[in-house]
Amino acid sequence: MNPNIQRRTEIALRGNRVVGRRDFLRQMSALGLTAGACNWTDVLSASADELRSRGMACIVLWMQGGPSQFETFSPKPNHNNGGETKAISTSVPGIQIAENLPYCARVMEDLAIIRSLTSKEGNHQRATYLLHHGYLPLGGVKFPTLGSHVAQHIGDAANQLPSCVRIGERLANSGDGGFLGVDYDPFVLRSANSPPENTEPATGRERYLRRLRLLDSIQAKFAAGSGAQVVADQRKLVANAAEMILSPSMAAFDLEQEPAALRAEYGKGDFAAGCMMARRLIEHGVTFVEVVSRGWDTHQDVFTRTRELTAQVDQPMAMLISDLKQRGMLDKTLVVWMGEFGRTPRINPRSGRDHYPKAFNAVLAGGGVSGGQVIGETDDAGALVSERPVSVNDLFRTIYHTLGIDADHENISRVGRPIKLVDGGEVIQELFS
Amino acid sequence: MRSKLASRMLCATFLALSLVVPTALAALPSPAKTAQRVDAAIAEELFGEETPLAPRSDDETYLRRVWLDLVGDIPTPEDVTAFLLDSSTDKRERAVQQLLASPYYGQNWARYWRDVIFSRTIEDRAYIAANAMETDLTGWLNEGVGWDQIAARFITSRGDVQERGSTAILMAQDGRTEETTAEVSRIFLGIQIQCAQCHDHPYDRWKREQFHELAAFFPRVGVRPVRGLTKRSFEVFGTDRFGRNAKKDNDRRPQAEHFMPDLNDPTAAGTQIQPKFFLTSATLPIGASDADRRGQLAEWLTDNEWFAIALVNRIWSELLGEGFYEPVDDIGPDRQASAPAAVQLLAAEFSNSGYDLRWLLETICLTEAYGRESRPRRDSEQTPFTANVPQRLRSDQLMNAILSALEVDESQPANRGGRQFANSPRKQFADVFGYDPSVARESVTLSIPQVLALMNSAQVNRAVTAGRSNMLGRLLTAEADDEQVILELYLCALSRQPSEEEIAQLLAYRDEVDDRQQAFEDALWALINSTEFQHRR
Repeated sequence: MNPNIQRRTEIALRGNRVVGRRDFLRQMSALGLTAGACNWTDVLSASADELRSRGMACIVLWMQGGPSQFETFSPKPNHNNGGETKAISTSVPGIQIAENLPYCARVMEDLAIIRSLTSKEGNHQRATYLLHHGYLPLGGVKFPTLGSHVAQHIGDAANQLPSCVRIGERLANSGDGGFLGVDYDPFVLRSANSPPENTEPATGRERYLRRLRLLDSIQAKFAAGSGAQVVADQRKLVANAAEMILSPSMAAFDLEQEPAALRAEYGKGDFAAGCMMARRLIEHGVTFVEVVSRGWDTHQDVFTRTRELTAQVDQPMAMLISDLKQRGMLDKTLVVWMGEFGRTPRINPRSGRDHYPKAFNAVLAGGGVSGGQVIGETDDAGALVSERPVSVNDLFRTIYHTLGIDADHENISRVGRPIKLVDGGEVIQELFS
Repeated sequence: MRSKLASRMLCATFLALSLVVPTALAALPSPAKTAQRVDAAIAEELFGEETPLAPRSDDETYLRRVWLDLVGDIPTPEDVTAFLLDSSTDKRERAVQQLLASPYYGQNWARYWRDVIFSRTIEDRAYIAANAMETDLTGWLNEGVGWDQIAARFITSRGDVQERGSTAILMAQDGRTEETTAEVSRIFLGIQIQCAQCHDHPYDRWKREQFHELAAFFPRVGVRPVRGLTKRSFEVFGTDRFGRNAKKDNDRRPQAEHFMPDLNDPTAAGTQIQPKFFLTSATLPIGASDADRRGQLAEWLTDNEWFAIALVNRIWSELLGEGFYEPVDDIGPDRQASAPAAVQLLAAEFSNSGYDLRWLLETICLTEAYGRESRPRRDSEQTPFTANVPQRLRSDQLMNAILSALEVDESQPANRGGRQFANSPRKQFADVFGYDPSVARESVTLSIPQVLALMNSAQVNRAVTAGRSNMLGRLLTAEADDEQVILELYLCALSRQPSEEEIAQLLAYRDEVDDRQQAFEDALWALINSTEFQHRR
């Protein structure tokens, strides 16, 4: 039989029957069934709803560099540390956020702000890894990234698009399928403003399918010898890629199909386009989308630079939430806004703020989370968490819980060690009350 | 240990003194003999009588392997044929020596180090230094400059980043004290001492203070923009003149001394730290000049055993698919080597060779361990080094292989000093296919964008479409015998002869398609898209 199985059995991931079935089909498709012998997606579509547990999905809005909490969701206008940033009222009486976020202020009833997120990692690489995996890097263990775990547990096996998509240039330390395998790697799209590259088949469909069959058959020799693992991986990816580009779902990547008026409501720029595409992808059955915004490492001129960044992020984020809500998708789509850490309470001599993991923010909306609330608080100076600290593990456990995924599910790593999706932590129960 | 005064004098005459090294060349350890000793040490440490060892690879596999490893390209059908027909017993040794004498040897490894350094840049603008780095390092490698001297040049560098390739690490780290410190330790010693930057690490012996003592060799370095009439660039500089205004936190101007931040009060000035090399505890006084600090550190660092071990381990890992320590940039006294005596031996002889990189590569290529057939990557329970491992090609190797297989020229002027690399087709290719060579190779996986680029990109498809002026077109016109065409295509792409089965497969495909040109276009497309093509076996 096919060597795919060899790689797969190294990872004892038998808890989820969907994986087994999906793998089986992938192998069949790699052996030539994608080549038109039978449309296996159709075979499965009857059970698609059942496969995608409760139809949940997740969108992460990632602020690379570490967004300043003072200039976003935790303004401190009455303290020196707050700097020149003013607070504004929101649609929820009693909750104020920074003036830089007027659009988000209007959808506050859907947002739950965590002001007491706390960690110890002040290094970009390690913190980016931590807030993508729920673990710090550990030699020898290939932890899967959040989106890959989500794709594996609740991804729609029958969908022709990848279950996990990341929009934005390659992001170091954001992770991949790890020990779950290449099937769960995020599909990385450079920008939502241009179609994914090289997705136009180079020849007519018939010839393309014929070529794929030939490619599969000439790999036999290497696959039977030293290339067993690598050919197996490549066969899966070729099958996945071919299935995707030949499928009508490719339309999900085409923002031109959106009404101009709606596009305008999302605002301009790559991040706005990314938010809109995230919604389209979720509509087309993708389970996890990450949209990356860069440049938040504001060691200098934190006030001006954060204003420029929020101008790119505020409107699309708020519009994404309204749009999901209007389409009846918000209840089943968890939106998470976060970055790798926060920024120092003290303003440095270059009007900037430095790395500060001790107290920072995350924002959750949708997926059954009760909006219009603030979880946790910091002291007047914004230096220390004064109420209800939330750890990264708490946050990750909460995200999995919201999506209906058992965070205590154990995978067995290659060295035979059981690894939970999240090690410890508690669900933030207030979010669901 | 030398006295401080003596070592400072030595530092001033650093380059002059290092010219003495070539006298050691007379006693250069023999690569072939050293290879045997390394194999013996591995067998002694790891293999029992029952350990199944993969057989020696065949000539085709070995030739393609050394070509990719040493010069970053695949052999032509003529090279393969000549090698197969050569019946002399020392042909592998001679092939290795010839490849190491080629200018592409320097280029291949300069590109490898370019990826090592620039995979960890803080800001993308650092790429403007990539061209000069590749050019200069290519030259040094081809001249045979020792790895100790090369390391010293990187550590002590100053100047315009588009003119001086040795500025690359400092430019990539934006001249920031702590980041530069971490990279110098990681790249040249394989030790990740920066893990101790914020807190004492539970598993490592290095304490937070030791990281900052190492950082104290770099506080006087900076990177600043330079604007000429015609160009904009950056300059790495070191200074010993400081105004009265002490540096404030996060001010990136150089400062006279390094301060370790107070964890409980990040806003305080912190503790002034004296330069001290963590592996030997050698110190320099507060107030030492930038030239002394960096010159002295370069000397102490390249003298240390971990300097040789880190390099030997890194190159071994690149050539065998697995290092004695993994990952290659997280080694050190607290890590367990899979064959400690073998790596110690190789490192000691590398040091005796005058840190001669060509000597090291030749030695490794002559080991039985390197020459074995490949097998899928082992499980952690299986014995290491019983076989070689198929390695996914680095971006430059893959691009060269495509260009060579399809006989396409790379139309790119190789001017130094400009932004050429940053805007080149090679960089665009690397944006899709590149990976950080320091990462454990088992975690480097193929991605859908990579699969799509090879399947569908216009460049590849143009080249596999038979035309009057390309390889396939010429071949189909010149050769009427389709079995010969198939042989040629396999030699071009995979540097080996097809098996009987593979010939039959393609002949059957030709009959099925019933269009000779289309059938062979598809065949070439499939060969380029095959996993075997994208790996070095």
